[in-house]
Amino acid sequence: MGKTDSPTEKRALTIIGFLCNWCSYGGADTAGVCRFKQPTDLRVIRVPCTGRMDPLFIARALILGADGVLVSGCHPRDCHYAVGNLYARRRLEILKRMLPFMGIHADRFHYTWVSASEGQRWQQVVTEFSEQVGGLGPNPGVTSFHTGNREEL
Amino acid sequence: MGNAIRYIALDKLTRVLGRLSEILDVWVPTASEEKKRLVRFMPYQAGMIPELVEQSTLGPKGALLPQVESLFRFIYEKDPDDASHKRVELEDPVAPKPTLIFGVRPCDARGFLLFDRVFSAGPHIDGLYGARRDLTLLATLVCLEEDAACFCSSVGGGPADRQGSDLWITPIGDGYVVEALNDRALHVMDLLEEPANELQTAAATKVQQEAAERRVGNLICDQSRSNFLQRFDDLNYWQQMAGQCLSCGICTFVCPTCYCFSITDELKGMRGERIRSWDSCMFYTYTLEASGHNPRPTRLERYRNRIGHKFSYIPEKYEGIIGCCGCGRCIRSCPVSIDIRKVVENLEEKAHACA
Amino acid sequence: MIGWETGYDTLHTTPVFIKDSSEIQRLVWNPFCAQNLAGYLVKSPIVPRGEGSKKIGICVKGCDSRSVVALIQEKLVARDMLFIFGIPCRGVIDLRKLIPNQTGAKILSVRLTDDQVEVEHSKGLQHLAFADVLMRKCKRCRYPDPVIHDVLLGESVLPRIESHELYQDVAAIERLSLQERLAFWQTELDRCLRCYACRNACPLCVCQDRCIAETRDPKWLTQYMNLPEKFMFHFIHALHLAGRCTECGECERVCPMEIPVSLIKEELNKITKELLDFEAGLDLEGVPPLLTFSPAETGI
Repeated sequence: MGKTDSPTEKRALTIIGFLCNWCSYGGADTAGVCRFKQPTDLRVIRVPCTGRMDPLFIARALILGADGVLVSGCHPRDCHYAVGNLYARRRLEILKRMLPFMGIHADRFHYTWVSASEGQRWQQVVTEFSEQVGGLGPNPGVTSFHTGNREEL
Repeated sequence: MGNAIRYIALDKLTRVLGRLSEILDVWVPTASEEKKRLVRFMPYQAGMIPELVEQSTLGPKGALLPQVESLFRFIYEKDPDDASHKRVELEDPVAPKPTLIFGVRPCDARGFLLFDRVFSAGPHIDGLYGARRDLTLLATLVCLEEDAACFCSSVGGGPADRQGSDLWITPIGDGYVVEALNDRALHVMDLLEEPANELQTAAATKVQQEAAERRVGNLICDQSRSNFLQRFDDLNYWQQMAGQCLSCGICTFVCPTCYCFSITDELKGMRGERIRSWDSCMFYTYTLEASGHNPRPTRLERYRNRIGHKFSYIPEKYEGIIGCCGCGRCIRSCPVSIDIRKVVENLEEKAHACA
Repeated sequence: MIGWETGYDTLHTTPVFIKDSSEIQRLVWNPFCAQNLAGYLVKSPIVPRGEGSKKIGICVKGCDSRSVVALIQEKLVARDMLFIFGIPCRGVIDLRKLIPNQTGAKILSVRLTDDQVEVEHSKGLQHLAFADVLMRKCKRCRYPDPVIHDVLLGESVLPRIESHELYQDVAAIERLSLQERLAFWQTELDRCLRCYACRNACPLCVCQDRCIAETRDPKWLTQYMNLPEKFMFHFIHALHLAGRCTECGECERVCPMEIPVSLIKEELNKITKELLDFEAGLDLEGVPPLLTFSPAETGI
């Protein structure tokens, strides 16, 4: 259980990744250039800085049924914009601790710091997180509990 | 007339509702599982216990004017012959089904009367509302007890007001006597347990007479139409009366006569739905214009508009009907306890002072 | 001056704005004075805020005073514009708990003695202990004496609980399983009408007219009334109050559907306290933690 490179075994996961443009996006690019193999469930959204991260982006993704959300930025004190990630880490940590209170598993959200040269680390982060999310199974989201169906539209 | 008056013993009520729900969508007021004091109208399901003594917090208007109503669905498709061209396909909404709302109060029924006038009597007809209304029966309860916030008699209604109802339910201690008030209701009468006997019918008549004699509320508002217009520019008055308003919108949501709505297109990719949903004149965004200008920028103008709409513009436009049914829900639910009776009453005083 | 006056019956008070000293006798103080008046300092069109206006007098209970401090912290109102009448508070009655058990009984009058509440209703007389009919927020009150005031009216009141008991209500939810927690919130939030009363009653939700829950551009929420939309609204409301909410409980009191919305903010406050050692609305010089950062902090 956990290997996601045999898609016939189970349906693909939907994992959204918010990567900061300068460090983490560069790190993911480095991993690609070096042809490191990693699970393909991650869909990357590039943001200028993790300071741009509104916890509501993550909340919305998980409420609407994304299986996992990953946020990655520059290492603290190394932010391209000096202080963006310092704001981010407070907001993201608070969100991470609040999610389980509302019934959403905290392990569906992970935030970390990957610099542009850390291609191998990026591979490791994506692999481990995909396995973690895979282990939790698909996210039913917050559905209408009367019908059990996700909103059709 | 044997079929037109029936009797349902208290312990048979849920059985009756079950039978009715086999041929109709039935709505009943029921207390919330988690919050025993909160009563609202819900589609009837087996096991629900109807709450017919306490007034509901939220009235039954959602049964006829749903909080979210689909107008139509649409799908965009690329024209196979011309890639730059899109075709739209429309899908009609699901047709409404025959419905019975059980346990309406006379004040709630007055709300539907106003809706009928606004939506169905012209000059602009709302076919969706009309289709739903034609298929709906209102089974109204004689109201036995009012509280400090009720004032239905002052605005043209009353605890024994039958107008607009199809079935008339009178509680008589160990059960309910139910009368059909018109032909539309006759086809459900057979499902209502047994015919009422003479004693029961007499008991019901007595209860109805006592209810009819009660005058609920002593607000005098026959001159409010013109008094409101005189007070319109007196911002001082509106400050005093509604300065504490939070502009929260609860009053409009619980009100049986409020019907303002918004129409929005909700899209996801190439598919979408146009929906009508409840809106509130108390929201800032209600009159916000695309330019950014807002003719009702503060809660004072918005509260003034609410009073004007109910006690001046609606009577003006719709042959004197007052746009308020005196149910008192706005007073009870208002977080800051604004009393609409006081606001309307004091419209009068100044007029006398000026005279 | 902003205070409370008697409402449409003895059980309800309503906020009153007094401009003339002759109207002072309209003011009342009793355990029905539930409303938090601090919101009017920043959201009311009739409270004067310009240069050269007179000071604004405001009556505050302990919880309300924290909201005033929070507003001052965020520079939404200036301290020297206010004259604060602080009233130590023994608690506010939750009207929902006063309603007698028998259905159909209407409350006629309420008499209060030191620790007893005598309710006369249409089916008889009922005696209740004061402590049993308090609002949930009062049962967990740690600041009954206003934390800021220009004059204190009344005798000091002791906090009702110790600080380690403060988050017992959210702890009860935390003890449920993940599935149970989700089911709890699905059940509670299903009743939500999106009337936005909780937001509008909150003294700190000052952007209410421009709230992103209602804007169409960007469009965060549709007009659909399904659970995901309702969850999103409450996430928006609560997360924008993280580290700022002073637990005045108004949101929960005003909700017409009796949803315990205050619990979400209490959980966020518990997290903020554990993580960043900050409690909103206490220190005039404080800065809400999500509006700032600390380069040296570890553990995150």
